[in-house]
Amino acid sequence: MIHSARILQAARVGISLGFMQVRNTTVRWGSVAQILHWLIVALIIVQVILALMAAQLHGMPKLAMLARHKSVGITILMLAVVRLLWRLVNPTPPLPLTLKPYERFLANFTHAALYFLIFAMPLTGWIMTSARGFPVSWFNLFQLPDLVAKNRPLYEAMVETHEALAWTLGAVALLHLLGALKHHFVMKDTVLRRMLPFSKIP
Amino acid sequence: MIRQFRLARPLAALAMLLAAGALGAAGTAVPTYALDAAKSTFEFGFVQAGAQNKGRFPKFAVKFSFADDSLAASHLEVTVDVAALNTDDQERDDTLREEDLFDVAKFPQARFTATQITKTAAGAYAASGSLLLRGVTRALSIPFTLKSATEQGRQVLYMAGKTVIRRLDFGVGQGDWKSTEWVGNEVTVTFNLRLIPAT
Repeated sequence: MIHSARILQAARVGISLGFMQVRNTTVRWGSVAQILHWLIVALIIVQVILALMAAQLHGMPKLAMLARHKSVGITILMLAVVRLLWRLVNPTPPLPLTLKPYERFLANFTHAALYFLIFAMPLTGWIMTSARGFPVSWFNLFQLPDLVAKNRPLYEAMVETHEALAWTLGAVALLHLLGALKHHFVMKDTVLRRMLPFSKIP
Repeated sequence: MIRQFRLARPLAALAMLLAAGALGAAGTAVPTYALDAAKSTFEFGFVQAGAQNKGRFPKFAVKFSFADDSLAASHLEVTVDVAALNTDDQERDDTLREEDLFDVAKFPQARFTATQITKTAAGAYAASGSLLLRGVTRALSIPFTLKSATEQGRQVLYMAGKTVIRRLDFGVGQGDWKSTEWVGNEVTVTFNLRLIPAT
């Protein structure tokens, strides 16, 4: 009896550590949501590096770099689908009630924009390469269908759109980062910590 | 002397007659065909970054003399204008023409010459010979099918076939392009030709 009570207590402690909690709660993000968030952050940084490197290259090395960029982009798209579905079947930790209406609007707008962009970035890239006539393969493992038929003007429009969205993503992500830091250092609430693994939330 | 002379003349005449007969037989028994370029295609498929891509050679010439009952006297020669290659992408086409790939400045043409045509099944054949590409000659056997049709009172042939060649066997891919990680070694060549009697 005592033994099983200890296990139960240990389990409760584990759950309260946050990272071991798989699903979201009303006070913090669960481990799945955290992993999806930080994995997508890391992959977006990889995407920027691959794109900048590809722009400097020619021939085979450029081909290789862009192929990796496309594979990582498709990975982000797949993670974005999982992330959106996971969000829909989980509680969303609410924003602090103390937020002013404009702050609440800014937070909701930023989050909606980020969700939109993690879909729009890979999709415009996929449309771009389809319109160019270069089908996408996911890490040389399987070939994806073309989203549109070969179309040069559409390709050129998508190059512009993809780039404009990339800058938009940079700006919105910066806003998101500044918001998180404001919550942590100015408002001194748990909004940043609840997305951090291993952080204890009272 | 006179006796020898009289014998030599008819012998020489007979020899000339036989030779002329043999030439005549070779020249007339195997019909020759010309390419109907507008209704023929010569395409190639390749794997680029894990995905299937394709292109075509819009300019090529075919010399084909063929009779099903006289395969030994049949002949096939295909000359491809490599420089005219088209993958529907200007940047890629320019890259393919460069020195490290097809090097069209030095090797503008590729040629397949069949030295033997054999029948493999009804309507199916194999042309064995050699392919000269980017300065490298290698033995190659290309399977093809032939369908004969009568159109507007004359016999036309439809020749179709597909073969896989390894680009690196011919040096198509120097430097970085020797790697097959991003551009596959195997290239599938597909042809659908309409051949009309040569006039």
